[in-house]
Amino acid sequence: MKNKLPHLLAFFMISFGSYAQNVADSLEISMNQNLLQINGYQRILQNLEAIPNGMTLGGYAEVLYNQPESVNGEIDVQRLILLFGYKFDDRTQFVTELEFEHVKEVYIEQAFVNYSVNNSLNVRAGLMLVPMGIINEYHEPTTFNGVERPSMDNKLVPTTWREIGIGVSGRSDAMSMRYQAYIFNGFLSHNGTAGLVQGSNGLRSGRQKGAESVFRTPNLSMKLDFYGINGLRLGLSGYFGRTQAANEVFDTSGSTVGLSMIGFDARYNLRKFTARCQYITSSIKDVFEYNQLTAKDLGSGMSGYYIEGAYNLLPIRNRQRLFAFVRYENFDTHASVPSNTDRNAAYHRKEITTGLSYHLAPGAVFKMDYQSKSTGLDDDAKGQINAGVGVWF
Amino acid sequence: MISTITNYSIALLCVLNINLGFDVNKLVQKRMQKEITKIFSCKDFELQDVTSTPGFQFKNSTYLVQHQIFEIKKEGALLGYAFLGTAPSKTDTFEYLILFDENFIQKKAKILVYREDYGGEISSNRWLSQFENTSLTERFFYGENISAISGATISVKSMTQSINYVYSQLQLQNAVAVR
Repeated sequence: MKNKLPHLLAFFMISFGSYAQNVADSLEISMNQNLLQINGYQRILQNLEAIPNGMTLGGYAEVLYNQPESVNGEIDVQRLILLFGYKFDDRTQFVTELEFEHVKEVYIEQAFVNYSVNNSLNVRAGLMLVPMGIINEYHEPTTFNGVERPSMDNKLVPTTWREIGIGVSGRSDAMSMRYQAYIFNGFLSHNGTAGLVQGSNGLRSGRQKGAESVFRTPNLSMKLDFYGINGLRLGLSGYFGRTQAANEVFDTSGSTVGLSMIGFDARYNLRKFTARCQYITSSIKDVFEYNQLTAKDLGSGMSGYYIEGAYNLLPIRNRQRLFAFVRYENFDTHASVPSNTDRNAAYHRKEITTGLSYHLAPGAVFKMDYQSKSTGLDDDAKGQINAGVGVWF
Repeated sequence: MISTITNYSIALLCVLNINLGFDVNKLVQKRMQKEITKIFSCKDFELQDVTSTPGFQFKNSTYLVQHQIFEIKKEGALLGYAFLGTAPSKTDTFEYLILFDENFIQKKAKILVYREDYGGEISSNRWLSQFENTSLTERFFYGENISAISGATISVKSMTQSINYVYSQLQLQNAVAVR
């Protein structure tokens, strides 16, 4: 069985690859046939006086294979997301993404109404993505290198981070800037019986994801993007507030913690070269009381960065692209700890990821990479091979 | 009694105003007029729709879903041309305007209406200025002579392809070559 695995995998990847190609081809055909099918392009206005409304279908998917050294590998339909959009009129849209994780877990990833007042102001409310760093907002598999999202965008920024809220977004064409500002529900740090957030993965387990979520204290989230220098995009994100706790423990000292998170990100494109980097730092208040109450090991400070460079090996005018990339990550969910908590050096992670992203067509990608992971506890790096297919349409 | 009527009238006016607000065509026309006024430094121009006249006829395509071409004239004299196009974004469409001088040299490209969240960055005046002062023989290539915008790749490519298509079609027309 062990020997057959690579063959099976190769077969699987090839068949899925040709399937993805067919999907891309048929999309192209349907576009060329002047929009006969119900898809995103169907809403294209046949004339400007037509009522611009209708349904959008879309989605993205990641089917991944992870093979760590000397243990079993995992093959998983990590995510399959179906996007439905409905345009009531030119100003009013509803967007929702239904997510299947690992085939059998169902979530709603986004569900919000967007009302466009004008080009520079939208009001939106519902279940939305928290704008922090790059990946939380731009997480479709064809938009980033590497089979897995950067690890920092799992432990430090808990992607896909979404909560229910209300806010505004818009852009200034003259200044080449985009802004977003929302009031969101926060993380749940205590469910009445146990603490939920901890040192190993920060606030990740406290995400409420809009499911019967507990709310008392509003949280503020903002992001500014600047793209006025050709090829360069800069982002500055901020998230400020406090976690929530179940009624039973709300008045108990240490059931909630205060949170400030600041992120800086940059993306750069020059001909066949692309690069990106991201820096995130969080400061968490009242962690001493929280760890005392819950016997958890939450850090009072978390921070880290990653830097990535990629080069397209194919001619620039080709429809296909083949990126070779390398990424270095260095982050610590125990950058600082309260006096009643021991600093765990294993939470200081250093990872190097290097591999290929082969874009078969815009929207379909084959990925393969090698990761070398080490921690502050153990400098002996552990290796892992990853492969996967991703689509976005 | 009078105050009741006034109140109803105000309410009715509000409803009417909101309805007018949804008229895309009017919005596009208004923004086009404003841009022409600015670029040609002239208020009292006339627009003549020449979309289906010889020398300007061409079909739509994948990247040009809908279009109109106008001659911009003042007291009979030709100032230039206005090209109004509709191109696809990720899941929707957007309207753009290209203004040419009388020799079909591009003076200005502008996104008039962009609807969806993804890709709105292409409306940046800075990014669009890459197309300015080009003639119909010019061709644009993503990443080569047109810079990328991270997070807006689909719309960047769509706009680039749309302009390439429009240039190639206009270039094929005899009327353009003669002028």
